Amino acid sequence: MKLLFDLSPADKAAFDAAAGEDERILYCLPFDIEFQTRVDGRMVFTNKSIYKINEGKLEAKWDFSRLSDFTVETLYGCCAFFGKVDGVSTRLCRFISGRNMPRYAIMVDACEELAKGNAGKVFSSSEPERYCQKCGRPFVMHTHICPFCQSKSETYKRLWGMTKGLRLMMLFPLLTAVLSLGIQYVVPVLQKILINEYIVRVNPEPFEENWKLHMLLIVGGIIGFSVISQILGIVQSRVAAVSGNRFTRFLRTLLFEKVQMLSMSSVQKKSTGDLMGRINNDVSVVQNFMTNLLPSYFGQIVSFVLGLVLVLTLDAKQGTHMSLFIFLPIPFVILFILAFRRMMRRLNIKSWQKGRRTNQTLQDLLSGIRVIKTYGREKAAVDEFTDCTAQQARQNEKNAKLFDTVFPLLGFALRSGSYLIMWYGNVQLFNGTLGVGELNQFNSYASILYAPLMQITTIPRNISAFTTSFGKVMEILEEEPEVSDIAKPQHFTLKGNVSVKHVTFGYESSNPVLRDVSLDVKAGEMIGIVGHSGCGKSTLINLIMRMYDPTEGSIEIDGVNLKEIGQQSLRSQMGVVLQETHLFSGSVRDNIRYAMPYATDDEVIRAARAANAHDFIMNLPQGYNTIVGEKGYSLSGGERQRVAIARALIHNPPILILDEATAALDTETEKQIQDAIDQLTTNRTTFAIAHRLSTLRNADKILVIDHGHIAEFGTHLELLNQRGIYYKLVMAQTRAALEK
Amino acid sequence: MAETKTTVQTPEEAAQATEKDLFAHRISIDLTPDNAKFTKSSGGLISLEVTQPDGKVEFFERIVPVRAFPISSPEEFISIRQPDTRMGGRGDEIGMIRRLSDFRVPSAGEAAALIEDELGRRYFTPAIRKIHSFSEKFGYCYWDVTTSAGRVEFIMSNPASSIRTLEDGRVFMYDIDGNCFTIEDPAKLDKSSYKKVEIYL
Repeated sequence: MKLLFDLSPADKAAFDAAAGEDERILYCLPFDIEFQTRVDGRMVFTNKSIYKINEGKLEAKWDFSRLSDFTVETLYGCCAFFGKVDGVSTRLCRFISGRNMPRYAIMVDACEELAKGNAGKVFSSSEPERYCQKCGRPFVMHTHICPFCQSKSETYKRLWGMTKGLRLMMLFPLLTAVLSLGIQYVVPVLQKILINEYIVRVNPEPFEENWKLHMLLIVGGIIGFSVISQILGIVQSRVAAVSGNRFTRFLRTLLFEKVQMLSMSSVQKKSTGDLMGRINNDVSVVQNFMTNLLPSYFGQIVSFVLGLVLVLTLDAKQGTHMSLFIFLPIPFVILFILAFRRMMRRLNIKSWQKGRRTNQTLQDLLSGIRVIKTYGREKAAVDEFTDCTAQQARQNEKNAKLFDTVFPLLGFALRSGSYLIMWYGNVQLFNGTLGVGELNQFNSYASILYAPLMQITTIPRNISAFTTSFGKVMEILEEEPEVSDIAKPQHFTLKGNVSVKHVTFGYESSNPVLRDVSLDVKAGEMIGIVGHSGCGKSTLINLIMRMYDPTEGSIEIDGVNLKEIGQQSLRSQMGVVLQETHLFSGSVRDNIRYAMPYATDDEVIRAARAANAHDFIMNLPQGYNTIVGEKGYSLSGGERQRVAIARALIHNPPILILDEATAALDTETEKQIQDAIDQLTTNRTTFAIAHRLSTLRNADKILVIDHGHIAEFGTHLELLNQRGIYYKLVMAQTRAALEK
Repeated sequence: MAETKTTVQTPEEAAQATEKDLFAHRISIDLTPDNAKFTKSSGGLISLEVTQPDGKVEFFERIVPVRAFPISSPEEFISIRQPDTRMGGRGDEIGMIRRLSDFRVPSAGEAAALIEDELGRRYFTPAIRKIHSFSEKFGYCYWDVTTSAGRVEFIMSNPASSIRTLEDGRVFMYDIDGNCFTIEDPAKLDKSSYKKVEIYL
């Protein structure tokens, strides 16, 4: 992320006039708002002062020696950068939110350092920009692709590389398209001969001997060609279906494999919906373009050019000016189609908006039906819905009426060329300069020429949809996993001594979640982790599981840096129970042995017993074979959680992680699970995050995290005596319990 | 990095802290010209001296006014709060002003003007006067408009969800940067501007 913006010459002059000799510009950020007006000013941060410059004028200068307590605040529609000047709060500047907020967030840290007189440490940001550096436009949602700046040839080159093995099949539709086009153009020639020789009979000479056979041949040719073109069409569709589906399958598998290989951090940045969209919709868009649209466009273009040549040569041979009449209406027709499309789009968006509103209202009202009924607001709900549907109906009516009027007109416009040809051709016919056969031929070619026009107007839209989707697909395929194994990862058998050394980490570098955290845990200890939500508890756990790599510092298990242990090896020796357990569709047995697919039934039962799950599983209709998950038997929250514990236990991991495993359960169930947990934690290094402190009564040590720092660390008694955050939490919960 | 004030206390301090102190919350009071004196600080922000019901006088170097109903009643129910601290959540509410007009009396000094000015800086929602161009490319909408804050180009991700029409006819438009623009009355826009935004209303 850019922290050193350019100064305009005027601004630079203003800065030079004000700055001292030994001042260096360290950072320069834009500020955008001055009271109620948008401006394009600069905040210049040197090793000594902050300069606020706008339109070549120095508006303010603050020396770091007088500044302290920097903050940024998000206001409404803007943000502001504050600091204290001689201890008095002052608003240094205001700026628009999205683009500059992360920059100023870093500047807060940088300024704190500068105010301490520490100009040596220069802050930078590894956070990627969300806007194109070249044109300033935003990247495609959730990506780093600028559709305006990405090189088109690069895109097509990569695409070509992906069609390996499918190229012949993809070439086929192009070939058949050309062939069937050729036939389209040959048939009118035969028709011409048929008309001129036999139907109108221009030639005054008597029929040849074998005229019957000759005519039969021509008629047969016409029928034969149309049969061939039908067959070609069938073959083409079949081949397109195969190549299209193979391409989709190939791309989807590739994409899914890659998503599974990516590290947690890259996956977490994208929502499930976004990933599903890319794997499903974007791949479909790319496939449709490659196997359907592209051959079709190719065919249209070939057809158009071929038709053009044919018509022109024919015209030159005849010496008439028929082609003029074919081409004259084309610009008007294109204009008409374009205008019509734009109007249609506007109306369709309008009606889509109304439809969307109806859907939303319906969903809102139906899912809230209990509330509606309990407050007796049925009438209001009906009114609201009626209003939506009425609006939608009105809009749809309007659209339908208009479309039904305009469509025939559009058809008429498209055919207007033919009418002109008819008129002019007939004039020529009467003059004797043109035969009926030739007239028919011209007419057929004209209609072939007009057909692609309808499609041409859709090409830009389809190409832009394709490049966007393809870019999104490629972005995932080319992404490097952030957390990757070293060249030769080792397999270690872990004992469970965990030490965290000066770890600093943030999901976005401008906003560290953990700051300089150090911690030593001996094998077999149980550590309870407490703190407010968002204080960094889960983040610490994620780092220990190596879902992410720390920004600074390191984590070691048994004295070995996490980075040297293969991820596969590491995770196979950890058991994790999360707050929300996901059970996959399948039997209870499959879910328990998820981490160890070849576990024996004996081991499954042992794990289930240890998790206090055996008894309830035996009460299920089909015991361990009962299907659970999305479409199966629905287990209660406590039961699911016990299955999850069994799953975490089956491979007897030396490190166990419980991330609020009991938070969503009632006290009774928690008790049962607590008993299960108590059994597990012996001889295992356990990290347990909990809001309910009773869960942690057996913990050897309690770790209190506050705003990314370790606030307190020690045994239950030690912390109570400290009377700090832990004491406060215990008191609050006991009091709440007593009040009950 | 400056020392951030957390709730961690030294053992001696904590030992003196009774349970009552640990759970004490600030109680918000109604602010009137009688108990609240707003002044402009030397840093250009608002300071407040407030007299609590028990007669205790508190001084706040900087306060932040926040509207409870920024859209429906921007002049009423204004919460006067302590600023957000850097690490912590939202600052506590010191008190609430029922109506800003209560402070438009000579005894309140320039209080109303001060608060109005500060609110004007907090809520930055330029009003759109003219729409020069609107185009949709690669999944984003690009707008070029003249607003009360000058000419602005902004980008919107999905107009169907980023443009909201209120019951009173006002239109709010949100861009991808978190900025907000308003159209006070779409019917009063010139014809070509209106046509550009019309389909989303």
